[in-house]
Amino acid sequence: MKNPVPVAMSFEELEHTADVRLRVKAGSLESLFSEAARALMVVMYGSAEPGPMRRSIEVQAADPESLMHAFLSEVLYISEVEEMVVSGAEIRLNEGRLEGELTGEPFSPAKHRSGMEVKGISLSGLSVSRDNHTYILEVIFDV
Amino acid sequence: MLQGVTRIGPYEWEVPIGFVPDMRVPGRFFLSDRLAETLEPGAIQQLANVATMPGIVKNSLAMPDIHWGYGFPIGGVAAFGMEEGVISPGGVGFDINCGVRILTTPLSAADLVRKRELIEGLFSAVPTGVGAKSTLRLDQKELLGMLRGGSKWAVEHGFGIEEDFLHCEEQGSMVGADPEAVSQKARQRGMPQSGTLGAGNHFLEVQMVEEVYDPAAASAYGISEGQICIMIHCGSRGLGHQVCTDHLRILEAATRKYGITLPDRQLACAPLSSPEGRAYFGAMAAAANYAWANRQVIMHMTREVFARMYSIAYEDMHLVYDVAHNVAKFEEHTVDGRRMRVCVHRKGATRAFGPGSPDLPPAYREAGQPVIIPGSMGTPSYLLHGTAVAMERTFGSTCHGAGRVMSRTKAKKMLSGHEVKEALGKEGILVRAHHNGAIADEAPEVYKPSDEVVRVVHEAGLSRRVARFKPLGVIKG
Repeated sequence: MKNPVPVAMSFEELEHTADVRLRVKAGSLESLFSEAARALMVVMYGSAEPGPMRRSIEVQAADPESLMHAFLSEVLYISEVEEMVVSGAEIRLNEGRLEGELTGEPFSPAKHRSGMEVKGISLSGLSVSRDNHTYILEVIFDV
Repeated sequence: MLQGVTRIGPYEWEVPIGFVPDMRVPGRFFLSDRLAETLEPGAIQQLANVATMPGIVKNSLAMPDIHWGYGFPIGGVAAFGMEEGVISPGGVGFDINCGVRILTTPLSAADLVRKRELIEGLFSAVPTGVGAKSTLRLDQKELLGMLRGGSKWAVEHGFGIEEDFLHCEEQGSMVGADPEAVSQKARQRGMPQSGTLGAGNHFLEVQMVEEVYDPAAASAYGISEGQICIMIHCGSRGLGHQVCTDHLRILEAATRKYGITLPDRQLACAPLSSPEGRAYFGAMAAAANYAWANRQVIMHMTREVFARMYSIAYEDMHLVYDVAHNVAKFEEHTVDGRRMRVCVHRKGATRAFGPGSPDLPPAYREAGQPVIIPGSMGTPSYLLHGTAVAMERTFGSTCHGAGRVMSRTKAKKMLSGHEVKEALGKEGILVRAHHNGAIADEAPEVYKPSDEVVRVVHEAGLSRRVARFKPLGVIKG
């Protein structure tokens, strides 16, 4: 049996007139959550690099789309009130429950002002799918 | 035009029942041939989706600045009956009571010396951009006051004068606000952001009245040619965004509980009379009040800068009016000859009540409600008045702005913020932002021409032009 080909985490911006629409890819569902958090931060702050900050996160929902929506909404909230630019996350998934730790760096006006303010994560157009070994998220951020 | 859509007037189009399954009423939208060239099919799909919602009255509507959003299209308007109807955050948006106000000054263009110093003064007085912090230092109790009282709270705390809140839609304070329905998370986000402008398309712009079209209405509103005015566009910041996120989740569960089927999850809704529906309304109204207080505080900072720089009295700068773009409200309308109370959702649309409306300040009753339509950066803004036609056709609603035609990705690829800033500078328009990316993002080229959107609402009679404003300088998030 062949070993699964490792899938590099990545995200790209898709066409959308008013808002920001992204496609995020990863090799596992857990790393899809991590990469989605990083993508959100890059949109908001222009960059998201690893740093000393750690913050636990916990959300639950009935299906993968709702879990992703709850997770990204929570990352947005944490980032704003803790002034944290999240660069990734260690995620554990267990039957509709997500637990994990966010990592990142403190928000710095000098470094993090080239992004866009994200107002919310839209449920319209949110999908989580799998193509062989690749997990794919499509999501629209209201900016 | 899209297949299945029919033209029913020079500027009016109908989306018939059946365009998507389960529509309860037809869709109607207003558009010129020129604007039809950039119409997105997704926006019409969203207009039709709204028509499937329980209790919708008469039509699912869209204004000529219609574009593809989430849930409702941007520019969408829908009214729901009190018994069968629903309320939905998808018909309001994340930025609850994003809105705009216009303030007059006793200055004329010739008085506006030291313009760069003025723009820098405004930029340092008003916190802007991603991560901007309030200078107010509110505590929980004061935040509660803001959520209950809106503009009135701000005026009572020294951020304005009494006539200010009388010149706001709903007198700047929505009845039914329930701070208890606003989560701790939302409050945490709201406390450090009160009195901040935000980012994206939010701005504060110094303008000159370039042309008056309707002298009687202009005089009633205190507007004259050559006068310097200030326009402020912002919303309810993180507090409103969090209210939408929190209640979207509650209402998704409610949608299932009440057996409502919807074509788009973002349209999650609950009956107006249900506990979930009432909780969302109370939280949304509280967030709307936060936004009114926010614009009031920013206007106060603006008045102080102008008073200091030009030795004019604070009280000589009058608020013409303040309108909400993203809100759901209980209003009385005549539908098929019968007066009825409905919940009107406006998402990227402006209330445009006609002459005689009891909700208006006495001085404006003859002219009708002032309607403020901001142009994109560098293009003119307009003041219009509401009409009887809007009362009959669109539940007293009109457009809210220019509407985007180019995505942010494309804008950044095609335009450099530096070049846009230079080009505007050559036209005498100073732009100040934290970074040039924010300027490319909102360049004039990325929007539909404001003149054309305003022409359509004027010709269709949904509101009538009163005056046009030329931008002179702008601060952006």
